This record gives sequence, C-alpha cells and structure tokens, in this order.
Amino acid sequence: MDKILDVKNLRISFRTNNGTVKAVRDINLELGKGETLAIVGESGSGKSVTAKAMLGILAPNSIIENGEIVYDGKDLLKLSEEEFHDYRGNRISMIFQDPMSSLNPIMRIGKQLTEAMILNGKANQRAAKKELSEKTRLLTKAMLGAASEGGAITSAQVNSLTTQFKEISSKAIRLSREFGRAYQAAAECRDELALYITDIKKDDPKSLVKEMKETAGKLSKVFSPYVVEEGNTSYKGKAETFKGLASAYRKQDQADELTAAMKDLKDELERQIPQEKPDFFAMAYYLMKQPGAQVHQKDIKALNDKTQAYLEEHFLKEFIQATAAGLEYSSKTSLKAKKAALDALKKALPVYEKEKLDKGECERTAASLIHLVDQSIDRLALKKENLPYVFGTSLHSAIKKYFEGIPHNRKEEKRFANDQAKYEKNAAKGRDIGKPVPALLVDLDLEHSNMIRIVKNLSDLYESQTAQNAKADYNEMAREMIHHLYQQETKVVHKVTKGMAKHHAIELMEEVGIAEARKRYNQFPFEFSGGMRQRIVIAIALAANPDILICDEPTTALDVTIQSQILELINKLKEERKLSIIFITHDLGVVANMADRIAVMYAGKIVEYGTADEIFYEPAHPYTWALLSSMPDLDTKEKLEAIPGTPPNMIHPPNGDAFAARNKYAMEIDFEEQPPMFEITPTHHAATWLLHPNAPKVEPPKIVTDRIERMRKLEVDANE
Amino acid sequence: MSKSHAENEVLLKVDHLKQYFKMGKSELKAVDDVSFEIRRGEVFGLVGESGCGKTTTGRSIIKLYDITGGNVYFKGDRIAAGTRSYDDRIKELKAEAKASGRNVSDEIAALKKERAAARYDHKHADPKEVTQIQMIFQDPIASLNPRMTVREIIAEGLMIQGIKDKKFIDEKVYEVLEMVGLVREHAGRYPHEFSGGQRQRIGIARAIIMKPELIIADEPISALDVSIQAQVINLLNDLRASMNLTILFIAHDLSVVKYFSDRIGVMYFGKMVEMADSDELFEHPLHPYTKSLLSAIPLPDPHYEKRRRRIVYKPDEVHDYSREQPQLREVRPGHLVYCNTEEFERYQKEAGAAGGSASAKKA
Repeated sequence: MDKILDVKNLRISFRTNNGTVKAVRDINLELGKGETLAIVGESGSGKSVTAKAMLGILAPNSIIENGEIVYDGKDLLKLSEEEFHDYRGNRISMIFQDPMSSLNPIMRIGKQLTEAMILNGKANQRAAKKELSEKTRLLTKAMLGAASEGGAITSAQVNSLTTQFKEISSKAIRLSREFGRAYQAAAECRDELALYITDIKKDDPKSLVKEMKETAGKLSKVFSPYVVEEGNTSYKGKAETFKGLASAYRKQDQADELTAAMKDLKDELERQIPQEKPDFFAMAYYLMKQPGAQVHQKDIKALNDKTQAYLEEHFLKEFIQATAAGLEYSSKTSLKAKKAALDALKKALPVYEKEKLDKGECERTAASLIHLVDQSIDRLALKKENLPYVFGTSLHSAIKKYFEGIPHNRKEEKRFANDQAKYEKNAAKGRDIGKPVPALLVDLDLEHSNMIRIVKNLSDLYESQTAQNAKADYNEMAREMIHHLYQQETKVVHKVTKGMAKHHAIELMEEVGIAEARKRYNQFPFEFSGGMRQRIVIAIALAANPDILICDEPTTALDVTIQSQILELINKLKEERKLSIIFITHDLGVVANMADRIAVMYAGKIVEYGTADEIFYEPAHPYTWALLSSMPDLDTKEKLEAIPGTPPNMIHPPNGDAFAARNKYAMEIDFEEQPPMFEITPTHHAATWLLHPNAPKVEPPKIVTDRIERMRKLEVDANE
Repeated sequence: MSKSHAENEVLLKVDHLKQYFKMGKSELKAVDDVSFEIRRGEVFGLVGESGCGKTTTGRSIIKLYDITGGNVYFKGDRIAAGTRSYDDRIKELKAEAKASGRNVSDEIAALKKERAAARYDHKHADPKEVTQIQMIFQDPIASLNPRMTVREIIAEGLMIQGIKDKKFIDEKVYEVLEMVGLVREHAGRYPHEFSGGQRQRIGIARAIIMKPELIIADEPISALDVSIQAQVINLLNDLRASMNLTILFIAHDLSVVKYFSDRIGVMYFGKMVEMADSDELFEHPLHPYTKSLLSAIPLPDPHYEKRRRRIVYKPDEVHDYSREQPQLREVRPGHLVYCNTEEFERYQKEAGAAGGSASAKKA
C-alpha cells in the first residue's frame, strides 16, 4: 500500500479556563492511496480535531503538543499559514456536516464554485512552471554527473539533448496555448448554443440577446489548424447567419428561425471540435526538424502517431537513455550520501540520549545532521520519502521546544504557585475569586524522547535502505520522469479564465448529479434542498482536484434516501478520481458501505483499528462492541445495550483505559494502566487488556454475536 | 405485539387531515388528506424523507397549527377540525346551482351548520383532554428555554394548569426526573449544563409530567450520538411499559422505527402511501416508494453493503394516474397502500404470492 498521509504520535490539547483539555492523545494513522479510512467514535472523541489538524484549521486555543502529519514530504503541522494555502482545498479538501453553514448564503452557487478555481489557476500555473524548471535543472545536473563518470553518454551529448528538450517544450507550450484558446472558445460556444436552444421559448428576448452577443463575440476566436480551420467557409457563413438573426431578435415569433440557425451552427461546431488532443511535444519536435512539413490535418490520431513515432526514433530514445543514466547516477550518489548520513546519525545518537542535554552541542550536531540528511535526499525520485524530508523541521522544533520549555516551565510553576496562594488567601477571607488556571507545562520528557525518536527512526530507515540492494528499472523510471515533465507542461499551459471556470463548474455540478446544472449555476444556496446543497459542497471540495478528501459527518444532517445517494456519489467519485478519503462519522451503518479500514476512537485515543471486515465481523474492543450493540438493525428484537454514562472529562483523563468506567468487562488493571495496542492480525489492532494472554476469556454481548452470526448466514445464503 | 393492541380502543383518530401553508399566491400542501388511527398502548411510527410532512402531521394533531381540513379525534372527541372541505363543497354546490338551476339552499344550510360545529369544536376543545397529548421535540437545545431552570421547564405545564402548591409541584418534578434517569439535584440547573442525551431526557420529563396518554415524539433521537440514542430509546421503551403510553413516533431512521414501532405509516409528499404492521411492512413492502426507502437503509455489515442496491423511486415512471386517481386501499388485512384499481390488483397478487411463499417457508 502506498502511503499518502501519515499521522504519527499526534497529541493535541485545548487551553481553556479550567485547564487543558486533552482532545487527541498520541494517535497514529496512515492513509493509503485510493483508500477510505473511517474514523468512528462518539462526539468529543477527537475525530474532528484530528481532521481539522490535517487542514490546519484548529481553533486558536489549540496546542499541538507533539506529533507529525506528513503529506508529500511536508509536515503539515509545521507549515506556515502562507504555505498552507498550497495544501488546503488544493491537495486536501474537506466536506463538513452541515452544508448550509459551509455555503455563503448571499453568493450565487456559480460564484462560489468558480471563485477558488480562478484564484488557484494562476498559483497552479506558477507551481507547475517552477516544478518543470527545477526538475529539468536537477536532471541536467545528474546527467552531467553521469557523463563525467564516463557512462554511455558524453557531456556534449547531454548539453545538446537538454537544450533540445528545453526548446521543444517551449515550442510545445506555445502551440498548446494556441490550441487551448481556440478549443475552449469552440466548446464554450457549443455549450452556450445548446443552452439557448433549450431556453429560447422560456426566456425573455431582451436578456437573451445580451447573452447571445457575448457568444457571437467568441465565434471568431475558434480558428486554429486543429479546431476550426481558417478557411472553413461553411462555418463562417453559419456564424454570420446566427449573428445577424441574434442581433435582430426582438420577439418570440422570430424564435424558430433563430433556433434553426443555432442548431446548424452547433452541429457544425460539434463536427469540427476534435475528440482528441494533438501531442504537442511530438509535434513541436516534428515541426522543428521538418520546418516545411504539412501538419494541418483533421485526423489528429494519425498525426499523433506519425509525430510520436518520429519523436521516439530521433530524440526520445537517446533522451530516455540519458535520463536513465542521470537517474541512476542521482540515486547512487544519494545512496552514498545516505551511508554517510547514517554514520553521522549513529554517532549523533548518544548526544541526544544523554541524561542532561547541552543546548549548544545539540544544536551544532543537529545542524550538521540536517545538512547531511538534506544532501542524501534523492530529489529526482518522484515518490517522496517522508522521513528525510521532515527530519530537519522535526528535529529543530523538538530541540527548540525542549530548551524553551525549561524556563517556561519554571515561570508557569511560579505563576501557578502565586495564583494558588492568592486564591487561598482570598478563600480564607471568604472571597471567591475563581480557581487559578492550572500551570501549562511543556512535557520535557516527551520532547526529549521525541529528539531520540526522530534521529533513531531515520537511522533505522537508512539502515534498511542501504542494506538492501534492489535493482531498479531505470528505463521505466526515465519514462515516468518524462511523463511527469509532460504533465507539468500541460499544467503550465492550463490557464483558468472566467469562462473556463464556469465550464468546469458546470461539468462538476453534472458530475455530482445536479440536474439542469446551467440553470442551477445562477441560483442561491437557499433554493437547493439539503441533499443538493451537500452535492454543491462536494463539487466545491473537488474543484481543485484534491488527493485527499476529508468527510466530516457528511450525511448526519440528511435523511435515509438522500444519505444513501450522497454515499454512493462519494464512492463513485472515489473510484473515478482515485481519491483517498478520510470519513468521519458516528454511524457504523454508514461506515460499512464506505470504509476499507476503520479506526475506532474514544477519548482521544484509537482503541481499535482494522479492515472493515475485521471490525464488523471480529470486533475486539469492548467499546466497539458497545457501539455495535447500541444501534438496532432490522432484526433486533431484544433490549438495546446502551452505553451507560458519558465520556470522561478530558481535562483529567483517567489513568488506565479511558473506557473502563463505562465498561462492564473492565478488569482492575483497566483502571490502573493504559493497555497497549495488541496485534490480533497484522492489520487488526486493539487496545484492551482483554487481549492479554493472562486475561479471562470474554465473549462480546449477545446482541453483537447474534448479529454477526446472522450476517455470516446471510453471506452464505447469498453465495449459494 | 401488534395483535394485543388490535382490540384496544382507538385513542387517536386522524381523519382526512389537511394542512396547507400559504406561499404567496399558491398553497403548499404539506399534509394532504392523511388518515390513520392509533390504538391505546400502540407505537405508531411515521417515516418518510425530510419535507414530506411527518412533523407537520404531528404538530397539527397537537394543535400547534390550525388545520386546513379534516378532523382529529382524541378518545372519541373532536379536538381539531378544519373547514376547507365544507368550503369547497359549498362552492361546488353554488356553481352547480348556477349551471343547472337546481335548488341547493337546504344542502348549503346543512353544510354551513356542520362547518360552524367544526369551528366550535376546534375552538372549544377540552383543554384537560388536549394536555393528555404531549410532544417531544427533535432538537433538545432549541426546545429548552436557556433562561429557565430545569425545575421551571418541567413544572411549566403544571403551573399553566393552575396548580399553585409549590411542594406538590416539587415532588412531581423530582418524581419525573428520577423516572427519566436524572437526579433531584439537576432540578436547579440550567439546560446548558447538560449533555445532549440528558437534555433530551429533560424534554421527555417535561412531556410525561402531565401524565399524558399519547406522546408525539418528533425525531427525538436524530440529533443524538449513537450511544446516547440507545439510552433514549430504552428510556422511552421503559416509560411506555410503566405508564402505558401510546406513542406517535416520527423519525427517518428506519432501523430505529422498525425496532420501536408496532405499526408504521410511510409518507411521501404529504400523502400516506403505505401503512402496515412493522414486520409486515418490512417483509412485504408493496408501494414502490417504500421499497426504495427500505433499500436505502445502511446496515453494519460490509458484505451486505457491497451487495445492496438502492432502488430509485421515480413516481412519473412507476405510476400511471392519468385514468384513475389513487386512494388508500386495504391490500391485505391491516396493510393499506395508496393505489388505483389496476395497481391494487397487482399489489394483491404480489402480497398473496409473498404471503404464500412465507407461509410455505414456515411450514
């Protein structure tokens, strides 16, 4: 499983007047690519806090005490607000419980959908440009390195290849831009005409004429060798007819004539708009080498085949070879650097393991370590490893917290002692001035162990990496790299205009199942029903094409049929877009449909996690049993087993298992010591002492075992 | 369970209930011609998607709205009545008179008399009787006054009834607090000091202090956490047994409705489309809307969920009401479906086949 998001030892608390509320206590999660991870628990169990931390939208009184959330080689917890703009909404999106509160009531749906697209469009273009130049630079450097070591290629070859590559890509970008403009204009005209044809009978001529004028303006922008050819007289004639009729349109009885003209024009456009996109990179090369060549043909597939074959033969073969050599060189140098870094890490470990830490020594060692680790990263690898990327920031912040914590703790303790004395003095006089706010101390032991862990984790990783001698297929990697560069090129070209954003927004609205999207585009949120509103929110969340979608109880406010529609929609989008989803809910019935894996949370801790089958068919933690037994299904007849009491006060979380007080299976040790995570199967873990070898054998409640038996039987029946 | 209530007296009878709301020039038919009966000791579940008129039905029964048409009988007495049906009939007669010249003045006079009687009954319903219907609301936060202590909230009903004996009221409040699983000390606190489940318990205490015979529970658990939901359902179940309550249970969570109710009515766009015993309804749903509703229930079983296919209800495609308008008909004993003659025959066949196979299975 490819990990896409990694939550490690996350610990979050909230500062309140009564003390710190420990909302999340040391949780570890990982999210695989294309997977749905469900987080289940009662309200107040810390589900939403975890999700909000991933998006950097925690309340201002929150304290992130510890941990990392690693995504794409960055620790999200240590990003600045400015840096977070690249991630929030763009790479990681969120759907909230109540659709109405996440929509602006006085803004049209269309505006809300396109707003972010237009803002993000430019940023994406910039980012792609940067990535393209950065990767090309690194690649050239690696290739030259490989050449200097006397590989199959010489540095002269490398220079000529890279200059060629740069020239081709800039030409390709130019060509692609021209095509994009014309294609977009044609597609917009076609769609707008379709709209007018359906609405002409209903709409007021005056407003329609205004809109049609705008469309008519676009009609001359569609000329391009691959969309509508300049010499296409039949198109021009139809466009003129439409323009003339549209500007003369005053009364409804002229509608039929106009409709016919529009249909003609639309059909013409549909015939002309190509289904496929030309491969501009290949074409640019072809044009460069054969300047007089005739490439103005309508059959784009044949054109692509021809130019691609030409490119492959004359340029790509050599280029791939060079790239592969470069990649090999880069990964080898990185391996060498890793070995050096590993030695340094091993040597540095005693510095941090000392009983009494020396600030200067710690910082000096850290600086040299960070430098070494930084050099050991293979920056050409498309798959980023998390640990080395976040090593620097994590180690720095742990050291900083530790040494800043020492004087801070002293100050806080003094303040608390003063406040306490004042309070007691007043209390003795019978005056009530309110209890003093407890001291907010930095956990020094934790920070210390963090430093050791950070160094040790990386050294373990490097040890395993340097030990294994896997043979990589550099040619395959080179192809991937070139594909990646292509993608960046297309992104550089992809400029988001207002019209495009509208087009995209309407596509999105249709994708999430909103009928008559064009009409709905101009409506306000209050004109939508609950389910439709949630669909809009999903469309907005998907607008920037995120990798990860966090759904925070997206269906709790909806009723059964709508709920099931929205869940189906989320599942469909997940398949189509290869999304990774974090699904937060308290309803286990909903989860069964969605989740690949489930984490059950209670009082800020994960008490059980495993695959959906394991949680539903072999639940192990008493809290999971309680959750399962407290909800009736269609065959439940017996009294429901409600969970007695309420969750514990998280200002003073209990010492042992937090669920012990409400657990009828609780043993003495549950009240004294926190149970560790016991492994049941490699994918299934639960934190309960019942799994200890010395624990008595306990059966889940009857209502749960009965149901599981029934489900098993149903399964057998269905298979027959 | 349902059989034992079948002989009991009818406690609440809703007869052609209509509740329309004015929306500018047009009218919104929130509840359109809904009839059902609830017998003493029974739990009647009302399900349907949001906006189908479940809550409006509940609120009309307890006279939070003045109903547009139809009658509501409680213990045989008319407590609410609407005049729309009389108005319409009078209009019709007048038009007919104009067209054919028939003398209709007698009929109109009779209708006017009936209308006046309905108005009188609606206005002068016995307050002692109406207080025997109590309501539990969906959102416990919104339904409790934040400035009143729990004691004041719970005792308000008694005070309105004119009871002035402080000691008696306190005793009563403590009694119901203990009945709903809270303690005496809670009486002096304010609603914000309680958790969601406890707030809903306060709502229930407020309802049961009047010793009601009928409780209208309007989505009492929708706003609560799963674990708390079970507590509240168990509490309602206990109270039902100890106080011999009759409950009109409005919800959209079908698993809970199935678990809790004896009989279930399914509403769709202001109409009652199907009504049957809960087991019967879940085993042999007949109306396509009910089928679609049942196919949407999520269950805690991943393998079943992978197989589950939701049935989509498209009224325009399924029903052809161009020739004959549908009405509520009894397909099997106790199982009513909203259909026209053609569908009625089809449903009867379907029900017969299903019943036959079920009995064959049992044998």
